[in-house]
Amino acid sequence: MELRKTTVYQAVEAVLEGEVTAHQVIGKTIKNCSVLNEGLNIFTSIAGIDALEQAEAIDRKIQNGEKPPLAGIPVAVKDDLCYGVLPTSLGSAAFNEFMSPVTATVVERLMDAGAVVIGKTNLDDMGQGSTTLSSPTGPTVNPWQAERAAGSAGAAAVATGICMLAVESDSGGALRQGASHCGVVGLRPTTGRISRYGLNAHCSSFARVGVTAFSSENISGILDLVSGFDERDAATAVCRGGISEIIKNPGSEDMTIGYPVTAFDHLEPDLREIFEQVRDQLGSRGYRTKEIDLGLLREGLQAYYVLALAEASSNHARFDGIRFGKGRETDSLEEMYRQSRSEILGKEARRRSIFGTFLLSKGNYDRYYRQALKIWKLVRQHFEAAFNECDLLMLPVAKNLPRPLKEESSYLDQWSDDLFCAPVSLSGMPSLCVPAGQIDQFPIGMQLVGPPFSEKTLLAVGSTSGPRDMGEGPLSQ
Amino acid sequence: MKYEVVIGLEVHVELLTECKLFCSCPNRFASEPNVNTCPVCLGFPGAMPQMSREALQQALTASVALNCEVALYSYFDRKNYFYPDMPKGYQISQYYIPLGSKGFLEIEDNHGSLKKVGIGRVHMEEDAGKLVHEAGGGTAGRSSMVDYNRAGVPLIEIVTEPDLRSSEEARRYLEKLKSIMQYAGVSDCKMEEGSLRCDANVSLRMPGDQAFGVKTELKNMNSFRAVEKSLDHEIKRQAEILDSGEKVATQTLRWNEDKQETIVMRGKLEADGYRCFADSELAPIELTAEEVEQALQKLPEMAEERAQRFVEEYGLPEYDAGVLTASRCMADYFESCLNLYNKPKEVSNWVMGAFSAHLKNAGLEADQAFFSPEDMAELLKMIDEQVISGKIAKKVLDKVFESGKKPRQVVEEEGLLQISDQSELEAIVDQVIAENPDTVESYRGGKSKALGHMVGQVMKATRGKANPQLVNELLVKKIDG
Amino acid sequence: MDHIADGLEKAIKAIKIGVSSTEQEQLHRELDQFLDWLEPMLEVDPGDLEGLLFSHDAVNVLREDSPRKSGLAELQEAAPNFAGGFYLVPKIME
Repeated sequence: MELRKTTVYQAVEAVLEGEVTAHQVIGKTIKNCSVLNEGLNIFTSIAGIDALEQAEAIDRKIQNGEKPPLAGIPVAVKDDLCYGVLPTSLGSAAFNEFMSPVTATVVERLMDAGAVVIGKTNLDDMGQGSTTLSSPTGPTVNPWQAERAAGSAGAAAVATGICMLAVESDSGGALRQGASHCGVVGLRPTTGRISRYGLNAHCSSFARVGVTAFSSENISGILDLVSGFDERDAATAVCRGGISEIIKNPGSEDMTIGYPVTAFDHLEPDLREIFEQVRDQLGSRGYRTKEIDLGLLREGLQAYYVLALAEASSNHARFDGIRFGKGRETDSLEEMYRQSRSEILGKEARRRSIFGTFLLSKGNYDRYYRQALKIWKLVRQHFEAAFNECDLLMLPVAKNLPRPLKEESSYLDQWSDDLFCAPVSLSGMPSLCVPAGQIDQFPIGMQLVGPPFSEKTLLAVGSTSGPRDMGEGPLSQ
Repeated sequence: MKYEVVIGLEVHVELLTECKLFCSCPNRFASEPNVNTCPVCLGFPGAMPQMSREALQQALTASVALNCEVALYSYFDRKNYFYPDMPKGYQISQYYIPLGSKGFLEIEDNHGSLKKVGIGRVHMEEDAGKLVHEAGGGTAGRSSMVDYNRAGVPLIEIVTEPDLRSSEEARRYLEKLKSIMQYAGVSDCKMEEGSLRCDANVSLRMPGDQAFGVKTELKNMNSFRAVEKSLDHEIKRQAEILDSGEKVATQTLRWNEDKQETIVMRGKLEADGYRCFADSELAPIELTAEEVEQALQKLPEMAEERAQRFVEEYGLPEYDAGVLTASRCMADYFESCLNLYNKPKEVSNWVMGAFSAHLKNAGLEADQAFFSPEDMAELLKMIDEQVISGKIAKKVLDKVFESGKKPRQVVEEEGLLQISDQSELEAIVDQVIAENPDTVESYRGGKSKALGHMVGQVMKATRGKANPQLVNELLVKKIDG
Repeated sequence: MDHIADGLEKAIKAIKIGVSSTEQEQLHRELDQFLDWLEPMLEVDPGDLEGLLFSHDAVNVLREDSPRKSGLAELQEAAPNFAGGFYLVPKIME
């Protein structure tokens, strides 16, 4: 069975029908992981005997007549999501052997459904970034071009065909940028749809757990299994009485896709051309497209960074070297803090915590933080207003091609890459990144953004829009 | 003293929930360190807080009991600072919007009239863990040890306006606050065990001045007495500084109970140094005016109301009612006894007398004693049934307190049964009459006191076990013939 | 010392991260640059709009008050310095 060419549904059927055992699927996947990982640096840890035992347990369940809905599906999990069986590195050199007592709700739910975690995927320094360039174990190589970064390792794991699904966090856009750069599909869900319990969020306000896959269909196949109320994440209480989905079916219903024309002005002409083509294709497929206003993208990006840095300074204060992480024997408490913390937090994480502390301190709080909270609200209002005029919006994902591995880029340039993703994070609305085209063989993705809980509409549109299958990256063999 | 004293108190009270504020670890004292901990209260990566419904309810009850306006919308903030007892590097607290504000409670002022003490805010927050600095402890004295059992225990912080004008008023405020919290059922307020903790701000100014003087903060007072004494100490110190024309420095001082003096602590962060901002991992709290009204309606009876009821319902003297309702558990104890033995004044005498004396000696509260309401009822019934005398009953109570045995068992084991057997007593009475002819004569001569003397002799001979009434009757019968 | 360098110094101290003087100099330049970068956001006039505090619309998410077993051994295994039931830190003088 070639994972790349099957859907989750087909793969599960094959296991349930006995065409292949879960044990065989997982065994082969683990082997692939190890081989591909050498060149691409996708995984921080790869499952071993535990995963095979889980697969055997699933096979036994099937023999006993059970039908686990994700029987034998291999899943990659970003390494800021805690999973008790493999080390959880959090993107810190000091946590490379950390065994978390916590397992993330989303991982539990997938495992309960019969999926098997086959590895933890690489990430930026303390999960902060959309490139993997600041990872303590080095960047993940883009499967399409060895000189460039993947954006996110989960996307690379899917693009290479190693895994059918990757579960990843997305705060300012890591999941979406990764999907765009690797030519796969990635969903950042509505606030509160998927529990974040077990995610070491650097910014709790905007961190979401999302799913990356080859296709919209594959995400549709598991969305319900991972969605819904979890008493351990307060934000999911909006789903307590069930989820009020906004479902519209393309083709059978009138659907307007908003085109925020000024957003595309930020792009180089060749990139902009791709989106114009997609807009025209959508028109020819029966969608109505409409030019709309969507302001404050740049200011939204800036507000995102103020809020994210402030929160990171607080979220990462727990890393004090006392209860977890590698210890430091020092004479004074102050030294213990300074040494432990500068070892746990890498350069990017240190920068963010220090800047965040600065932004929250007296005098700066009113000037920067309070203003950012207001911009946050304005941005959300802008998106809400946009959905009075259209059902969905299309937006770029990335401003540029993936970052080169060798070229030094400034932190601020990298932050600026989130221009189209961070404002969507502020809006709280769901965003689906789907392939839109190619430049120089590089996949280019676009965001389809909808009102809260319109994921199923996004996925339905996603499966019919744009070039459907980018194929594997050339480095996948 | 020529200065006016200005005191404000910040009191932390531990709530009586089963669980911690943001996780399901037990909220109770544990003999072993770090056993009541989990990923949430240890701040593990990925763990998220879950707010307790009961803690909110108790904080609401406390707010209305202190006559506060209740915020219909509030939320939690993070107060960011590092200390080893604070696992997350921040304390979850209500900084911007406290649950309760603009409340008050009433105490007697220095002149004996009622005075309202303003309560600026009542807010919820989580407690920190405990640091243990054992002499030579840890690895050869190079380490301090951290116990997180208390980390995450629900607290309310109650902050007064600077309305208190003497150390005595401060103590009265604390006593009143403790009574209200106990009667409201939200805290046991045991200062010695840390379930009530108090910091004080104190400054002096010239009478009539509008502006406040420079204040200092006092910490580490472990009893109401210590609060009063440390305040007196600090007031005297500040007065001396001002008298000498110097200025008081803004400081945080620690009360040293052993030396009965204050020690300067290192500089503390100003409130804005905590970089407070909303904790988005928790949901805001919304209450309706109806819910607040309901909390007010459901507020348990407070001490004064209960005392009044004791007077009206049980016919107790006001003095008794006041003593019995001084603490909620004493009042509860009294009423539990009454349910089993319905003679209010008798029960009151015993509870206020021998029972309270024992509690005081042992430093216990009424609900901690070995002498249960059942024991009290049994004891009093034995007196009524003339199984024992009142005097013996006191002995029995002593024994029960010491041994934890049941009163009837003590009476049997110690051979304390009252002698009510007429033939047994007649022999002793006869002997006493025979041995005291003079006393018999004076009785016959009209000195009724002489009879008492002879009763005493009989009681002595029976080691207090004779039924005194019966002895009395027998003596009169035999002498008067 | 300028206002930003002073604020940076305080922030580094408050957040208890050890940085070399070279790193601190670099952070100073970067912070200057970052604050300039934020200017457009500061120029927006939101009027008397109240900012958002929460990304979610959930309220009153409350847990029942029933205790669970806690104090798992695996929690302590993660600690670098744990002995006799306690987490150990360098001696603190009070």
